[in-house]
Amino acid sequence: MIPSLIVMTVVLLYPLGSAIYFSFLHYYLGGGPTVFVGLQNYTELLVDARFWGDLLNTVIIVGCSVALQLFIGLGLALALYALHRGVRLISLLNFLPNVVTPVVGAIFLKWLFIGRFGLLDATLISLDVFPPDWLGDPFWAKFTLIMADTWKFMPFLMLVLYAGLQSFDVQLLEAAQIDGANAWQRLRFVILPMMKPLILFVVAIRAMDAFRFFDLVYVLTNGGPGTATETVTLYTYELGFHQLEVGKASALGVITLLIVAAIVGALIWSMSRRGREAF
Amino acid sequence: MSRTLRLQIPLLIGLILFTIVNLIPIIWGFMISIRQPGDAFSIPPKLIFDPTLIFHYQVWFERGFLAFLWNSLIIAAGTICLSVPIGTMAAYGLARMKSKHSGKLLFGLLAVRMFPQILLAIPFFVMARGLGLADSYGMMILSMVAINQPFTIWLMRSFFLDVPIELDEAAMIDGCNRWQAFWMIVLPAVRPGLAVTSLFSALLAYNEFLFALILTGSRTKTLPVAIAEYGGEDISYWSLSAAGAIGIMLPVVIFTIAVQRHLIRGLTFGAVKG
Repeated sequence: MIPSLIVMTVVLLYPLGSAIYFSFLHYYLGGGPTVFVGLQNYTELLVDARFWGDLLNTVIIVGCSVALQLFIGLGLALALYALHRGVRLISLLNFLPNVVTPVVGAIFLKWLFIGRFGLLDATLISLDVFPPDWLGDPFWAKFTLIMADTWKFMPFLMLVLYAGLQSFDVQLLEAAQIDGANAWQRLRFVILPMMKPLILFVVAIRAMDAFRFFDLVYVLTNGGPGTATETVTLYTYELGFHQLEVGKASALGVITLLIVAAIVGALIWSMSRRGREAF
Repeated sequence: MSRTLRLQIPLLIGLILFTIVNLIPIIWGFMISIRQPGDAFSIPPKLIFDPTLIFHYQVWFERGFLAFLWNSLIIAAGTICLSVPIGTMAAYGLARMKSKHSGKLLFGLLAVRMFPQILLAIPFFVMARGLGLADSYGMMILSMVAINQPFTIWLMRSFFLDVPIELDEAAMIDGCNRWQAFWMIVLPAVRPGLAVTSLFSALLAYNEFLFALILTGSRTKTLPVAIAEYGGEDISYWSLSAAGAIGIMLPVVIFTIAVQRHLIRGLTFGAVKG
């Protein structure tokens, strides 16, 4: 216990504490004096249109992709549950995108979406369809990132939901079948209510991860065109490590933390409330 | 019988088709890696070509990717050596102690999981610059331990919980003290758990990009940073960088097969029993 507490303090609590401390400073790594400025970094960010734009981007991209992942992941989990043979191999193969090094996955996806020579464009052009600019158009770049995030994280939902299905009491399903419930009714009234806590759980995890969404965007669009696909994390990165405005970047990090905490708190609250209600 | 078959066969075919579509990016990347750039970007896409492994050889031996692999391995090994032993002891304590504080501690650890990593990256960057430790293995390993420690504790705790507490008690009745019971009786019982936790920790360090981008430099660059820089716009590099990407992916594939039975536990911190 003790060694772990010491290590956690040194490598986790101390850095986090200093980050929060930085957020109240005017701290420019390129030089110049470091001064205490109170909440100035925060007030500057809260009137910064780029921050709000990035927040909107993050919410749109992550919201759409989590919804898509949940839909496909649940469908696959149910299909695997109904399947008798080959479940292990199929789930393992579909799981690969999730464990592949994120940067490598992003590069693979880039070769699909890159203009003209990408697999997608080459196929469309040879079919005489004029493809959109997947990575360079503000709308399509968002679309591409949603697809990329879905590809990367859907397997996680698939696997967790499948495991959840397996741990259910089969007798409940059989009882419903005997009572004359068809497949849709069994899904709607037996399976989904039982899965609800687990679904909320995976959505909560994905919502936390969403604000770490970095690798895929960095490689695929780097926030472009302009800041059309820039996420909050990418902006923090830009502030801290390119502009070297450590104070402001820390403030943005703290704001992100507060947003994440609020989302997760709301999900936990609704989970515990739903837990007590009858479905 | 025939009724189940009528359902099973279309289901299986549908799932196989989905799997193939899902894996197209990886398959396409592999195909780029084994052919000349001229064939890789033809319109319409060419499916028949002379395969070659020359790019796989070149990227590792002539373009210096072996050195980046070495850096990645050192950082992964360092992370395991620091994070797993310390986390395991803490996990044992948390699994066996029935105090009120252990619940709070566990929840605190879970809260760390939701921290935006970039908030942690900033102080590490500042510290690395301040201490002159930019472009060193040490800082990178410490940052990986920071990210990894809560995960290690939760995962190992779930393995310790699978070991009946009677085992500890029996050992202590036989004259072991707490430490001996832990070291000689309980630890051997969770050996598979240790292996799984180590593998997950290694994967986390191996796949890490943000921290590697910030904390490593030309001497300690890891594979993800190298391939991201290399996956440049120049099309003649496609085959080489595809070969690199496929190579980087291989250990991950082996990892997945090795821990397949423990994937869910590892992915969800052991919060959902897998």
